[in-house]
Amino acid sequence: MLEYALARLLRMIVTMFVIVTGVFFATRLSGNAVDFIGGEGLSAADRATLVAYYGLDASWFEQYWRYLRALAEGNFGISLLERRPVSTIVLERIGPSLQLLAGAVLLTLAVAVPAGTLAAVYRKSWAGSMIMGVAFLGYAIPNFVLAVLLILTLSFWLGWLPSSGNGSLAHFVMPVVALSAFYIASLTRFTRNAMLDVLSQDYLRTARAKGLAEPRVIFKHALRNALITVLSVLGLQIAGLAAAGNVVIETIFAWRGIGEMLVTAALRRDYPVLQFGVIAVALAVILINTLVDLAYGAADPRVRLARS
Amino acid sequence: MVHTTLSAPPAAPSLVHRATRLRAGLADVWADMNWILRCTAILGIVLVALALAAPLIAPFDPNAQSLLSRLKPPMGLAGAKDGYLLGTDELGRDILSRCLHGLRLTLGVALLGAVIGLLLGGSLGLLAGIAGGRVDDLIMSLVDIQIAVPFTLVALLTVALLGGDLSVLIAVLGIAYWEQYARITRGEVLRLREMPFIEAARAAGASGWRIAVRHILPNLISPLVVVFTVNISNIVLLESTLSFLGLGLRPPTATLGAMVGMGRDYLPSAPWIVAAPALLILLVTFVIQMLGDFLRDRTDVRLRER
Amino acid sequence: MMTRSLVLALAATSLASLAPLTPALAAELKVGASNMPPYLDPGRDHSNVGSQFYYNSFDTLIEKDHSTAEAKFLPGLATEWNRIDDLTMEFKLRPGVVFHNGEPLTADDVVFSFNRMFKASFPPYEVRAKDRLNNFDVAEKVDDLTVRVRTKKPEPLWETLVNMQQLMIVPEDYVKGLTGDPKVAENSDFEAFALAPVGSGPYRIAEFIPGERIVWQRHDGFWGEKAPFERVTVRAIPEMATRITALKNGEVDIITNLPPDQLATVEADPNLKTAGMVTPLFHVLIYNTLNEKMASPKLRQALNYAIDRQTLSEALWQGKAVVPSSHTMEPFGALYMPELKTFEYDIEKAKELLAESGYKGEEIRIDTSATYYTNGLLAMQAVAEMWGAIGVKTRINVDDKWTGNDPTMNARNWSNPMYFPDPFGSFGVMWAPGGPSEGEGRFKTDADYAEKWERFRFSADVAARREAYAELMERIKNDPPFLVLYQPYESWGMRKNVDWAPAPGHIPYVLDFRAGSIRVDG
Repeated sequence: MLEYALARLLRMIVTMFVIVTGVFFATRLSGNAVDFIGGEGLSAADRATLVAYYGLDASWFEQYWRYLRALAEGNFGISLLERRPVSTIVLERIGPSLQLLAGAVLLTLAVAVPAGTLAAVYRKSWAGSMIMGVAFLGYAIPNFVLAVLLILTLSFWLGWLPSSGNGSLAHFVMPVVALSAFYIASLTRFTRNAMLDVLSQDYLRTARAKGLAEPRVIFKHALRNALITVLSVLGLQIAGLAAAGNVVIETIFAWRGIGEMLVTAALRRDYPVLQFGVIAVALAVILINTLVDLAYGAADPRVRLARS
Repeated sequence: MVHTTLSAPPAAPSLVHRATRLRAGLADVWADMNWILRCTAILGIVLVALALAAPLIAPFDPNAQSLLSRLKPPMGLAGAKDGYLLGTDELGRDILSRCLHGLRLTLGVALLGAVIGLLLGGSLGLLAGIAGGRVDDLIMSLVDIQIAVPFTLVALLTVALLGGDLSVLIAVLGIAYWEQYARITRGEVLRLREMPFIEAARAAGASGWRIAVRHILPNLISPLVVVFTVNISNIVLLESTLSFLGLGLRPPTATLGAMVGMGRDYLPSAPWIVAAPALLILLVTFVIQMLGDFLRDRTDVRLRER
Repeated sequence: MMTRSLVLALAATSLASLAPLTPALAAELKVGASNMPPYLDPGRDHSNVGSQFYYNSFDTLIEKDHSTAEAKFLPGLATEWNRIDDLTMEFKLRPGVVFHNGEPLTADDVVFSFNRMFKASFPPYEVRAKDRLNNFDVAEKVDDLTVRVRTKKPEPLWETLVNMQQLMIVPEDYVKGLTGDPKVAENSDFEAFALAPVGSGPYRIAEFIPGERIVWQRHDGFWGEKAPFERVTVRAIPEMATRITALKNGEVDIITNLPPDQLATVEADPNLKTAGMVTPLFHVLIYNTLNEKMASPKLRQALNYAIDRQTLSEALWQGKAVVPSSHTMEPFGALYMPELKTFEYDIEKAKELLAESGYKGEEIRIDTSATYYTNGLLAMQAVAEMWGAIGVKTRINVDDKWTGNDPTMNARNWSNPMYFPDPFGSFGVMWAPGGPSEGEGRFKTDADYAEKWERFRFSADVAARREAYAELMERIKNDPPFLVLYQPYESWGMRKNVDWAPAPGHIPYVLDFRAGSIRVDG
């Protein structure tokens, strides 16, 4: 087990290194930051002055080396666009992002698990189909359409909720719903499938034969076993959420989070921010995945044995 | 000698034989469907037909602008313009024609992208599962990287670097989700590897390749079908997100997702610009999900009964 | 005890209810802006985004009457100014002016503010200063309230230039003290200043989060009439639907950047209204004349003739955009020359010239950003269609990257703002010999052009300047490096009780919240 964990850790480090290097060179390949941040209308000489000022004149390898050394000191650089330390920007934005993430995860769990379970239990009747039908909408509607529709109905026409920004619980409702819809649909489906798999297993027949009431069968036995799959999927979804779907929601609701920061940095080639952002997100995702993986291994003895 | 567990390779069936078997197979599937599923199947066929016939049946050139007839509502509402059944968009282009061509483009792009993902991810996953060891580690590292980096960024930079061409878009969407296929395939291979019937086949001398094709692949169909159907929806959504961010296909060509993205500013004043393509996305996703679920349930049951 | 406070409370509320009778020194104003700059430094900034925000916090030596498009100059931080000789102007400063941080404004600050631009060593100042400030030599202190400014050549546009945003006054000691050595203005000082700016205007910047929020608070030590609001908050709301909803809900009182297509939605609400104006700025279409594909002047003439700008205005701007026949606009006053016919729509001529140009069906790439210019993407799609109508193949490239300096650029959109009310402040800045366009390598000037340009720029006689400008426009017509599309009509949305409109005498997009410029009733 320990050996496996160490191997995963090593793999994690190598992955991170590859990502850092990849992003560094890829962003520079796709254009010089100067052309996005005020480099318009400059003569070649002036542009060169600006390029030198931003430290982008050195060869890529030299820039890379400088970057690695700064990283080792914990210095993530200065945003080319905002001229402030990247760490400051990230600290400002991580709170709102985490809030959205937490809200989305809670909502997803709270809705998808019961819905999926019920859909599985009542799969033959119309109730089961209806639940899946509604859940399916979460897949079918692009999240920005849902977001704008929510704003137009709940905020514009009905005036119940504030349109944007962050400040009160009311500000949370629409962004979290718009963000979660897709993941609720996805997790409901998975839960239903996992429950279906489990519900048909032989050991449940035994439990029923023993005379256990159906709800007990479902919750104590079936759900518990399905839960492993469900939770691992949820873990992956968290990772996915942390990674990117938010940029759309953050832009529409003027919610200053990491997603929007990353996409703007990518669009404007703000290298230091982009590099830091990708590292941070990659780290978070890899950590979550590794944890889920290890937990899965710890929970399921077959996997644990296969690994040792 | 016990050789009955291995059936002899079937003789190459004639064309007529194959067609009959296909028709019988399809009739089987149809019989299994309830009425909802049958309607869904018909809807799916209609959508595909519309997409294929788009260039023939679209009343107007989807890119033809009529600047002085912008934002006209659909026929039946006040201010509508004759001939423009679903109204005009922000440059006076016919929405119906754009929807038909958009449907064609969206289906084409999503299908191609999903197939690329399936082939790429599936083969890598298969390879990882069968070869194991170093190869497995390498491929899993690639998977890690793929998961760790927000794909929206990768897509963004790629499109920025290579331009908004159709081929670039398809390639980008194709590699977006390969790791899902890879992991499922690899997981199944690892699971099946330990099963007795594989041991038996190996003991009887079957090559790794033959084992993969004849024994492992059929078991993969069910989980892969699920991933494939979910994938197609995901691709449609990813493509919409890219056009929301101003990337995706260059104007004036538009997929359904791009039409929705560009039209969202007009939701309060000219909602038909978004409503028509959004509805089509909904229908496409609905058909794919329903049929995909059905096929999955079916193949699973069949497997269990074997 | 209780009764007394009750009485006082009643008195306070009744006094407050009298407010509509007097322009209330109201509490707070909230604005939803479509975008916000990443830094705030009036000397460094030449963008249309930042220009919205400087006027409330900074002053120039010479002020302008913004209620009219004509150039009427008034005392600002300087109470009088005199030409000492051909090259020198002396300014007498207003006493008792205090910066937001309490520092008194003296000649030292003026000299510092000017020389940091005239003799720039900080690269972001350096690369921008020469566009407009080329002729300025140096500023010198005469005494605490007197400054002399020298130019290199006799300057016909003194007041216009000294009134520019780029010459707004900033506090010397504050800037120098921000980082490092408090006696030296280092690059890091200027960077820090752009994140925590201090000026002398009626509002001090209490909070600035780049790209997100500006909070202004009334500056009690302001030398002029006190600001009408105690506090103004500007929040960035990039998404259109969200911005309009925020206005409707009363979350904000004013929103910016309302495209013509959305006016009806806002005006349909009985609590809201819109205000707009024809912006003193041109949307232009520029060509890379040094690119092989675009080298033929006849081709570019054909492309210009093929564009029906009037239809564009009607279709995209409800007819409210102004389609000029040349690079000229009303605020230029005596130098406004609508009689020049540099750009016309003539589809037959377009086809003729296209044939003569030897165009062989090559694909012309049109670059545009997705959302930077209002209706920019729509306009470029329309242009592509119009060129297609005469047989030119096009391809649209949507990218936020500025491709003006890209050798592969064929055509793209751009804006030529009116930095100050004179053709030099628009055409002059952008198309000068060695200026931004030539410098980027897409436009070439020769000795003849340079001679005409000198005359236009430096003649003391208005008639001579007009003549030279006409000659320049004739050259542009024969070998066009650009096409002026229109002056866009920009609109703002606001609650009915807000009495504000963009003022005709400002540079584009200024959010002027000074006393007399805005009022909120009830």
